Amino acid sequence: MCTVGGGPDIGNIEALVAKDYECLDCKSKFKGMGRRPMCPSCQSRNVKPA
Amino acid sequence: MSNLHEAMHISFKNDEIAYLCGQKSTIAFTKTLGNFFYLETETEETVLFTEPEDLMVASAFGTGDKILRGLQCTLYQLRELGAPLIVLPKGHPASPRLKVVVSIGPRTRLSCKIQPGTHPEQDVLCGSEEFADLEILAEPGGAEARGFSFKMGIVIIKQL
Repeated sequence: MCTVGGGPDIGNIEALVAKDYECLDCKSKFKGMGRRPMCPSCQSRNVKPA
Repeated sequence: MSNLHEAMHISFKNDEIAYLCGQKSTIAFTKTLGNFFYLETETEETVLFTEPEDLMVASAFGTGDKILRGLQCTLYQLRELGAPLIVLPKGHPASPRLKVVVSIGPRTRLSCKIQPGTHPEQDVLCGSEEFADLEILAEPGGAEARGFSFKMGIVIIKQL
């Protein structure tokens, strides 16, 4: 899913398939990728794409 | 000789780390436990979500105790201390100095032909020629190493 590093060079992070999310419990906003998003601040699964 | 048809199931517990030790390089992997990880660039932060059985795979050129400890340290920092993954911009002078590279997800493929500028959304990880095209797939209770056999090296399981 995600590789960081690669010998002589790394980068192209702009190509990351990430979505913006908002936590419906603590209202924090974050960018995430993966199948089961969770709020990194309060660990709630009650999040939605922003 | 290609070992792509060979596959080995490697069982390890959640608090253990598995090593594939070759002649010139070493691969280490452990479970993510469903943790999330921070990917940090110069301008933004992305949270990577995982499933409990997913793997974090680390690759290093070199063998021996120092390398094993370095790989363990990297995976321990990421999983147990919540250390962020730092993504350097292309051409950064520190890039060629990296000793350990990491991939996180259900599947990781090792490649020795990786193009400069690894794409973080891909499941390809830089490795040495001896482990070229080796695939590490998450499985319940462990992992499957496709393309690995005991002719290529040894497997070590240790406490993380």
